[in-house]
Amino acid sequence: MPFLVYLLLLILYLVSGLGILQLFGLRLKPAYTITLSLLLGIALASFLPFLLQLLYIPLTGFTVFGVLTLAAILLSIPTVLRIRREGPGGLRTTLVPAHFQVQPYEIPFWVIIGFLIFVSVWRCYYLPPTSRDALSGPEAIAEFAYREHTLINSFFKVDLWSTNNQFKSPFLICLQLIYKLAGFPFGQVWLSPIFIGLIVFLYNALREKVHPIIVGILLLLFIMTPETYAYTFMILYDYSNMVYMFLGLYFLFAYFSAGDKRNFYFAGLLIGIATYIRSETLALALLFLPPMIIAQRREKLPWKKIAISGLLFFLPAFIGYYLPNGVYIQHYLPVHYDVGALVNSNLGDVSPLFKRYGDIVNRLLVSGFAIKLWCYIFFVTAALFVAEAVFVRRFTREALNWLYAIGILYVGLGLLGWVLPVVDLNDTTKRGMFKMLPLCLMYLANNTLLIRLSQTVSRWELTPALPKVAGKPALAAGRSVLTRSGKTVAASGSGPGKGASAVGKTAPASGKTTPATSGSRRKRKK
Amino acid sequence: MKSFLLMLVSFAAIFIILNAGYYKEWFTAKPVQYWSDFLKEKDDTLDQAGILRERYGIVYTICMRVKDVMAKKKVAHPVILFEPNSYYRDSLHVYPNIHAPEPALFYYYTGLEGVWTNSPDVAKANFLVRMSKKGIQLDQITSPQQLQHVLAFYKKYPPSL
Repeated sequence: MPFLVYLLLLILYLVSGLGILQLFGLRLKPAYTITLSLLLGIALASFLPFLLQLLYIPLTGFTVFGVLTLAAILLSIPTVLRIRREGPGGLRTTLVPAHFQVQPYEIPFWVIIGFLIFVSVWRCYYLPPTSRDALSGPEAIAEFAYREHTLINSFFKVDLWSTNNQFKSPFLICLQLIYKLAGFPFGQVWLSPIFIGLIVFLYNALREKVHPIIVGILLLLFIMTPETYAYTFMILYDYSNMVYMFLGLYFLFAYFSAGDKRNFYFAGLLIGIATYIRSETLALALLFLPPMIIAQRREKLPWKKIAISGLLFFLPAFIGYYLPNGVYIQHYLPVHYDVGALVNSNLGDVSPLFKRYGDIVNRLLVSGFAIKLWCYIFFVTAALFVAEAVFVRRFTREALNWLYAIGILYVGLGLLGWVLPVVDLNDTTKRGMFKMLPLCLMYLANNTLLIRLSQTVSRWELTPALPKVAGKPALAAGRSVLTRSGKTVAASGSGPGKGASAVGKTAPASGKTTPATSGSRRKRKK
Repeated sequence: MKSFLLMLVSFAAIFIILNAGYYKEWFTAKPVQYWSDFLKEKDDTLDQAGILRERYGIVYTICMRVKDVMAKKKVAHPVILFEPNSYYRDSLHVYPNIHAPEPALFYYYTGLEGVWTNSPDVAKANFLVRMSKKGIQLDQITSPQQLQHVLAFYKKYPPSL
C-alpha cells in the first residue's frame, strides 16, 4: 500500500510540476521536462502542508493529500488547455523523446551510476534519519506533527536550549510528514527522486556539451564525492538546496545566453525554492544581481524595466525567506528566534573574514580532510581551469558564467561565515560547498580543452559513417561546437530545447545555447 | 568496432576512477559495504523498533529502557535528568560510546521529557539516569534537597553535546 501511495505521489508531483512549467511557457526536451516537473512537484509538496499550517488547518492525511491533489488538478489546467490546443501529440512530444539513442559505451557508466543510485535509494528507504540536525529539529517536529496534526506540537514544550534546529525550514518537515502519512515511518524516500532527478538532468545537460564518455567520467566524479553522496540518503537541507540553486543558475545563465525572459523568471522561481529550503541562499542569490543588470543593460532595457524584472526575479526568494522566517517563526512558533542576535557584533574587524577565506581553501578544498570530503573533483576542476588558462588563454562565455558562480559561492560562503558566526566552517560552510560541485561540473563541460577532446573523439567516431561536408566530417548530434570566437554552440538536436530548429533566438549561428525551445510556437506551426 | 573501442575506454576510465587514491578506499568502505548490508537487510526480519535499535545504537536502547521502566512504574509525568556528557568524558572516560542524549532527541526517541543539569526546567526532574560501563541505573529523585545534592555533584561538569 505505501508503495502505491508513493507512486501516486510521484504522479501528483509530475502533474503539478508540468503545470508550473506550462505556466512559464517553457518547452523543454522530455528529459528536462520530466525531471523538472518532478522537482517542482516535490518543492510544491513541501510548501502546501506549511501553507495549511499557516491557515491553522489540521495536518491530517485527508487535508494533506487533499491539498496535494487539489493543487495537481488546478495546475493541470494549463496542460489540459495545451492538449486541447495542440492535441495529445503536443504533450507526447513534451514527455516522450522522439528518438532515444544510447551508445554502447555509455552503458558501463550507467551500470556503475545505477549501482550507486540503487544503494542510496535502499538506504533512504530502509534506514531511519540519522543526522543530529534532523533528529533534534525537523524530523522530530514531523514525527509529532504526524501524531498531533500540527507543526506547532508538543516538541516545542521540551527543553530545546541545546539546539536551534527547530527553526529550520518547513521544507524537510513537510516532506517527512507527507511520507509518514503515506505509510513510510522513516520518511526520507522523497530524497531519492531529487537525487535521481538531478543526475538525469545533469547527464542530459552535460551530454549537450561533451562526449558521452566524458559525461560519464564527470558524472561519476560528481556522484562519488563521499560527503555529498552521504547526503543522498541522509535527509537534511543542503543537498536539496544545491539541486534547486544549481537549476536556478542553469536557467539564469540560459537567459544570459539567449535573452529569453521565461528562463529568467523560471530561474527566479528555482532560486526562490532554494531560499525556502535554506534561507541564507537569498544572500548568495543577491550576489548575482550585477551580472543580471549587465545582461539586461546589454539588451538596452530601461532602468525602470530592469528594476521591475529584478523585483519579480527575487519575489519568490523573498517569499521563500519571509514566510518561514518572518511569519512562521516570529508569529506562529511558541519559541522565537532572534536572527539579529546571531550577527557578528564586531563587523569592523575584517580579519576573521580573510581567515575564513583561508580556512575554506586550506581545510575544505586542498587538505587531506578535503580529499575525504570530495575526493579529487576540485583538483580535476582546478587542473583543467589552469590548463585552459595557460593553453587556450580564453574562456567561453558559458564557462565564464559558471566560473563566476563558483567565485560568488566562495565569496558568499566566506561572508556568511563572517557575518553569522553560527555558520561554522566544519558543518554549515562545508555543506554549503555542495553547491559548488554541479557548478564545477558545468564549468568542466564548457572547458575548451574538454570540448576539443570531445570533438576529436566524435569526429574519429563518426568519420566513416557520415558524409563529409565541405571536406570536414559532420559532428555528432547532441554535442557542442566551439566557434572561432570561443563560444560554444549546440549542434543540431542538442540543447534542452527540442532541437535546433526550435531554438528560436538561439540558433547556432548566434553562438548561444538555451535550455528552452523558447518558443517559437510560430515556428512550430510552420 | 569503434564503439567497441570506446566501450573499452569506458571500462578503463571506470576502472581507473574506482582504483585511484581515496576513491578506492571510499568505494570499498561505503558503497560496497552498503551493498553487503543490503544483501543482509533485504532478508532480515527486524521490525521498526529493531531497525531503530540497530541504527541508533546504545543510547537509543538506553532511552527505550527508561521509557519501559516509566511505563511499568506508571509514573504520571516523568522528567528524566541526565548526567553531563563532560562527566562521561572527563571522569568516567566512556564518552562518546556512552553519552547522554540532548532533551530534544530524548523526546523524539521516547516521547518523555528529559532535562540536563543546566536546563530551565531542571527543578521538575524526578528521575536520574546514571550510566557507566557496568550498566544503567535509574534513581528516583524524591525531594528538592536530593535534586540539589545531585546538581551540586555535577556542578563542575558543564553539559555539552
